[in-house]
Formats: sequence, C-alpha cells, structure tokens
Amino acid sequence: MAEIVLKNIRKTFGPSVVAVDDLNLTIQSGSFVSLLGPSGCGKTTTLRMIAGLDTPDGGELYLDGKLLFSESEGCMVPTEKRGMGLVFQSYALWPHMTVAQNVSFGLEMRGMPKEARRKRVQEVLELLHIDTLQNRYPSELSGGQQQRVALARMLAINPDVLLLDEPLSNLDAKLRLEMRTELKRLHQTLKNTILYVTHDQLEAMTLSTHVAVMHNGRILQYAPPLTIYRFPADLTVAAFVGSPPMNFFSRSENEGSDVFRSFLPLFPGLAERVHTVGVRPEDLYLSPTPPLDPWSYPAIFETVLPTGSDWIVSLRVHKRTIFLVLREEPRIKPGEQVWISTRTEKLHLFDTQQKRIESP
Amino acid sequence: MKGQGMRIRRLVTELRLLPYDPTKVIGFLLCAALAYLILAPVLALLLDTVRVNLRDSATIGIPTGTFTTYFLQRTFLSRVSEVLFWKPFWQTLFVAGAVCGIAIPMGALFAWLVVRTDLPGSKLVSRLMVVPYMIPSWTFAVAWISVFKNRRLGGLAGMLETMGFVPPDWLAYGALPIIVCESLHVFPFAFLLFGNALRSMDSQLEESARVLGASSFTISRRIVLPLLKPALLSSFLLTFSRVLGSFGTPYILGSGVKYYLLPTALYNSYKVGSPGVAAVIACVTVLMGVSLVALDMFFVREYRRFITLGGKGAILRKSPLGGLTLPALFFTLIALGITVLIPLGTLVLTTFMHRPGLFTVENFTLDYWIGATIPAMVGQKGFFLNPDILRSLKNSVWVAGSASLLCGFLGMLVGYVVVRLPKSRVAAYLRQVSFLPYLVPSIGFAAASLSFFAVPRGPIPSLYGSMFLLVLVMSLKYLPFASRSGITAMMQMGNEPEEAARVCGAGWLRRMGRIVLPLQKHALLTGVLLPLISGMKEQSLVIMLATPGTELMTTQILRFIDYGYTQLANATVVGIVGIIFILTLSMERLTGANLATGFASRG
Repeated sequence: MAEIVLKNIRKTFGPSVVAVDDLNLTIQSGSFVSLLGPSGCGKTTTLRMIAGLDTPDGGELYLDGKLLFSESEGCMVPTEKRGMGLVFQSYALWPHMTVAQNVSFGLEMRGMPKEARRKRVQEVLELLHIDTLQNRYPSELSGGQQQRVALARMLAINPDVLLLDEPLSNLDAKLRLEMRTELKRLHQTLKNTILYVTHDQLEAMTLSTHVAVMHNGRILQYAPPLTIYRFPADLTVAAFVGSPPMNFFSRSENEGSDVFRSFLPLFPGLAERVHTVGVRPEDLYLSPTPPLDPWSYPAIFETVLPTGSDWIVSLRVHKRTIFLVLREEPRIKPGEQVWISTRTEKLHLFDTQQKRIESP
Repeated sequence: MKGQGMRIRRLVTELRLLPYDPTKVIGFLLCAALAYLILAPVLALLLDTVRVNLRDSATIGIPTGTFTTYFLQRTFLSRVSEVLFWKPFWQTLFVAGAVCGIAIPMGALFAWLVVRTDLPGSKLVSRLMVVPYMIPSWTFAVAWISVFKNRRLGGLAGMLETMGFVPPDWLAYGALPIIVCESLHVFPFAFLLFGNALRSMDSQLEESARVLGASSFTISRRIVLPLLKPALLSSFLLTFSRVLGSFGTPYILGSGVKYYLLPTALYNSYKVGSPGVAAVIACVTVLMGVSLVALDMFFVREYRRFITLGGKGAILRKSPLGGLTLPALFFTLIALGITVLIPLGTLVLTTFMHRPGLFTVENFTLDYWIGATIPAMVGQKGFFLNPDILRSLKNSVWVAGSASLLCGFLGMLVGYVVVRLPKSRVAAYLRQVSFLPYLVPSIGFAAASLSFFAVPRGPIPSLYGSMFLLVLVMSLKYLPFASRSGITAMMQMGNEPEEAARVCGAGWLRRMGRIVLPLQKHALLTGVLLPLISGMKEQSLVIMLATPGTELMTTQILRFIDYGYTQLANATVVGIVGIIFILTLSMERLTGANLATGFASRG
C-alpha cells in the first residue's frame, strides 16, 4: 500500500520562477491520479519532486507516513532509495542495452539472482505482450513497443508507486487509445498507486480515479473526473476541461454583457454575486424559431464543423463567437438567424473571485 | 544558535546524499582546477607586463616584483620598439592580409569547381584538397627551405643551388615564402567554408531570381555573393588567427634574414631578450585573438538570420563546364600537385640523397633512414637509429597521448557538469573558462603558462623543463574542443537515461559505469583522438616549453634545421606526417567522423 502526502510543497527556479506554490495533495493508496494542466503549470516538477529527482525548497513529503523529504527536518531520501517507478515522456530507454537488459537493470540493482531475474523479466514482458522482443535493441522498436518496454522496465521492480510523465504524448492517435486501455487494465490488475502527468484532458478524464487540475503551480481542483467536468470549482478549470471549451458570458466584457444580463432573471437571489455565466457547448440547444424555454437568445448561424459523430456549430452572438455541439446535422444555412436556449440547471455560475457559486 | 543547528543539519544531509549525486562537488572541483590552470596563468601574464621579473631585474636594475611601466614603454615607445614590436606587428598584418588575398580566392574557386560544376572526380579532389590542412603547417616551410635555401644559411646547400641556380634572398627567405607557405596551408579552410556555404545554397534561390528576369550578373551580385558573405568573413578571420598563431613557418623562413612576425618576435624576446617585453607581446597576441573570435561570433550571430528551413533538402544543380572541362581539370591537378605532391615528394626525395638536387646514382642513399653513421653529419645516425629522434618520438607520443587522454576526460566532465546543472553559475563559468584557451594564440598561451608555472607556487615546484608542463599546457589548449564536444554529446544524451537508472536504484558510480560511459564511448573516443592528432603536430605551443630533455618531434625538427641537418629534419617531418595520416585514417575508420568537417583547430 502506498499513500503519498504532499504538505506545503514549494519549488522555485531562480529568483522569479515559482514552479510549485504551496502545494497540498494526498494521493490515496491504489488510486490513479492525474495531474492535469497546461505546459509550465508545475505538474512535471511535482512528479519529479515525488520521485526525488528535484529537491523541493520547502514543505514535507510522505510515503505511507514515512518522511521522504522535509525542509525543516533536513530530511531527503534520495531517488535511489525511494523504490518508485518513473516512465519518462521520452521513454529514456538505454540504447546500448537490449530490451531484456533494460528491464532487468532495476532487478540487478536490487541484487536479485540471475535466474530469478530472467523469470521476472519474462513475466513482465508477457504482461505487456512484448516477450518476443527480448533481444532487440531500442532503436529496432516502434514507438508503441518502446513505450511498453519503458513501462515494463519500471513494472519489473513491482513498485508501489508508478509515476508517469506524459507517457503517451509521443504516440499517434490510434496507439494512444490502445495504450490508454492497456494502462487502465494494468492498474486494475496490479492495483498500485499511479500518478499520471498529462496536458491531455481526455487522457486524464478517461483513465483517472481522481484528477488534480493544476495552474501556475497551484492545484485548482482535486476530484473525480466527472465531478470536475460537471462541477468545475473554478473558472480556469471550467475553461480548461471540455472540448470545444465552455462558453462564457461575463459582466465586464462589452460584447457579452447583454447576453450576460439576459441570464440574471433566472437566479434572482444571486444576481449581485454572479460575475460570469458559463454553459457547455453540448448543453445549448438550437431552434429556428424562438423557443419556450425560460432562457433563449437570438444568434446568427456562422458555420458548421462536422466531426463525423457530432456537429460543432459556431454562432455569432453580439460580435462574438460561441460554440454548440449537436448530435444531428443542423438544417440551417450560414447567415440565417436562429435561437439558442438552455436549461437553468445547466448553467455554471462564477463570482468575481472566479470561484463557483452553487446554485440554490 | 537555532540557525546554526539547521545549517549543520543541512550540511549533514548534503554529505549523506553525496554518493548518490556528486555532480555539484565535481563541478566545484573543476571550477577550482580551471581557475588555477587557465585563469591564473593568463592573469600572471598580464601582471608580468607591469612587474619586474627575476631575469629582467638584473639587466634593468630594478628590484624583482616592483611595478613598472618600463616594459610597456620599451615595447611600444622606446627607440628599440620598432625592432621589438612595431615591425613584426606590421609585418604580421601584411603577411596575414596577403595570405587572405591568395588563400581565399583559391579556396573559393576550387569550392565552386567541386560543388557547383560537373568537374570529373570532384569527390576525390575534395578529399585531396583537405590534405594540406591535415598535415602540419610548417611542412611547407621545411620543403621550401630544402629547395630554395642559399648560402646565407649554413649547412647543406638547397636543391636549386646544387643544380646550379642560386636563389636570391627574397625568394629563399622572408615575406614571399612565408606568404606562399601559409597560403598553401590555409586555403583548405576557405575551401571547406565556401564548399559548405555553396552546398547549403539551394539552386532554387538562383532560379527564382532568373524566373523573375534577373541576369547572371545580377544574380551573382544580389543573391549569391550576399549569401557567401559569412563564409568570406569567417575565412578572413580564421586566416588571420592562423597567421597570428603559427610559429614554425616564420621561424624557418624568416629568422635567417631577421624577418620576424609576432610569434617569432615573442619567442626571440623570451629566449634572448626580456621576458617582460615577451609578456607584453604575448598580451597583444591574446588581445588580437580575443577580438578576432569576438568578431567571428558577432558575424555568425548576424548571419544566423540567413538560415532558412526549406520543406525539403537543398537542390544542387551543377553547371556543365563544357569546353572548359579539360582546362579546369588540368588546373586542378596542378594545384593539387603544388599543394600536396610536390612538397611531400620533395621532403621524401631529399631524405634519400647525400646532396639534395644532385641526381647521380651514387648520390642516393638509405643512410638518413637506417645508417649507423652518416658521413656528412658527425655523430648522427639515420632516422630509425637516431637517439635524438627516437627520444623525441617517445616524448611526442607520451606527451600527446597523456594530454589527449587528460583533455578528453576533462572535456567529458565539463560536459557532464554543464548539462547536469543547467542555468547554474557553475555551468556558465565552466563553459566560459574552458573556452578561454581558444581565444589565446598558442604561443601566447605557452608564455602565460610559463610565467605562472616556471616558478614554484606553494606546494607545486617549478615545472619548467618537466614533461608534465607540456602535457598540462597541451591538454588545456585543446580543452575548448574537448569540452564543446563533451557538452554536445551530453546534451544529446540528455539527463533522462541517467535519471531512469537513478529511479531503478543505481548509485552514481554504477550509473557512470553502466549508463553514462557506455553511451559516451563514441564521443570520448573522438574527444581523445582529435587532440592526439593535433598534439602530434603541435609546434607553436610547445616551442617555448620544450627543453633539451623534453624535446618533441616537432621541436627536434627545428633543432635539426638550426644545425643544417636537412635530411634528418625532413625525415622527421615525413615521420610525423606518416603518423598523422595513420591516426587520421584510423580515427575516420573508428568513429566515422570526417576530419574535414570536424575539427577547426587554430595555430
């Protein structure tokens, strides 16, 4: 069992760059947690600090209640002694060793006898369906195979904690889906704790038991994926998760403020607090005539992007563009006037601090 | 009290973590070592220009260690300044300018012939063209003096004199032969630089202009020439720094008629005149070297804007020579003959003749290679039996070998620390200090090391006259190349292979042994072999440091020339050239690297 606890972890690079800012996070044993955020938000730094490759400037880090790092105690357990697994974005396979040698390296470092090593390597390679590649060198493998070897190398030592740093970003779309399935299967089988760093929200949503959305070195929300999608705690989270992104109408912006004011009668008690109203593209409806819903607004139909399964529609509302997702093909021509509508419970409300307001 | 406890605890933690990652400690040790070995000598040289040294204090009657402007005045303003400094200075500029005037057009022309025309055998031609750059620069001077030497110098007569034609002084010694010999050595640089520029220039650039209606003249003026400007400027600066750094050629061809360039003037001042004045001249060469590199870097940055990324590789269209094919080929063959065959052929030929230039059967001999006695040279033996040559060969192999190992190892360490501690002050410092010897012309660098290491410093005794000094100075002089290639190789490898091993539980020594060194094998091999080759032919750097016990092959040649032992000097040159050919070929075989594109060493 392996529970990771980060307390007030801080990391700066140079005098001005704050990579991770007072981070608190508890990763429960056996969970699959994704750190999700745009590049430069501090997610990889967080992962490297947990692995021990970077040293935090302050705070404390625990693994199963044991201190791994503490600034005030002067404690720092080196990477070599943490016994975690880490798969790099570039895989970092050792090009001068065969697949079997790569996978067996960690076992060798633990002083495992040769015969046992051979058996374990075979076992892990079979688990990842690459046991036929034992004697190949990394340069003779495809991207997907290299990925599997990188995973096998870390799984060989059977780590309680497996850290994955954007492991799928170098694969093409088809392989990515395959490896995603594979990762989820492995997690279900092995039940170790996985921390997964990604900027791809689809990966985070589909794989994780919990997602931590990071921005500017802070965690904005830490919750199961569907909670994050349905109840984003914060304007930034709402904007980052979901594709096409959520439509926002704010009190302060000129083009949207008319639309914004049209929402206010829907929640009379909150009218003063609400600063931004958001609605997801799939929660908007389109009709050629004014609908009977409590809220609707006229718009000009601009263009449509068919994806095959859906139709992404862009509309002009008061000089700005908003998006809708339809399950059926719209029968409207560009330039025609239409009406958009939604249900009150589908609206996301945010205050001036960008925090979510729970609808009454 | 509490703060102190904290500090101690943090120190203990750091020490406990040391076996896992000693990068910082290695970095700190490297910084200290390079400060002592590179920065301190250069500072000592600067100090020597304004402080009276032991040897000078007796002559000028000022106590040792006193600060004075005497040397500066003597070098730049006194009545003897003309002889000591100004004449060699202007002559250096003149020779360098003239060499540019010959070598650059020559290099550019052949680059164009090889890259842009359908000249037959252009691949072979371009390989042979690089040979003069591979062999030591003073080879041409030695060959020249064997042919054109006249009665002014003692010893054997030159070939031409033996054949009945006495060359005038202006043809035998001084400006003209120096310019010709330096040009022959330097033109491959221009050839390579222009060749690369022409090769990377897409023919479509010219064709676009032609489609838009430009004439050939307009195309050359508006498109081709501007794109060749970086190559032109770089050749120009490189030629200058070559002339500034080369000692052998002006020594062999100029000393007899007292035609001095800065390197020989510096040597003279050090050997027979005032070390203080030598320090001043050395500082001038350092200053010139620094400004040349600064200019080159400025231009490189300026012209980086020219680099454009096309969708596909550049398309090279070769223009047909047509009726000019035969004349061009003939011209190329003559040039190859003059630059490669004739000098080397002459050197080899003279070693088989008692009197070079006398073509009679009884004049030919193997004495200079295997003779136990040589009739014309009392007490000397042939190449393979000659104790002086054999000792210098042993010294050369020993010095160049150890220096290249040390240099390759240091370079890799610098690369390791710089890449592992990016953006740190240690990395920035190591980058800059390890590059410093590149800015300093060889002979100036030797002068600096001499002024620092020739006297005992603390626990370190005077190193003058020791082989160790030669090894040290040589490895430091080549450190810029080794550390550059070390940094590049480590960057290419990245940190992740090593970090992956850390995660797997491997400690530092194991990571080095199992991951880093195996992955750096190739780079390390190149980093050792390149300095080894340069070290075997190094002369400017070691001439001031070699003493009768520590004579290297290259300095032994100059001794033989001083004594007039032409054939022995030439046999030694042939020996070095042979060793260098073998080393270069085996390096190309071992590493797949091509010397022509790899190593632009400077005098």
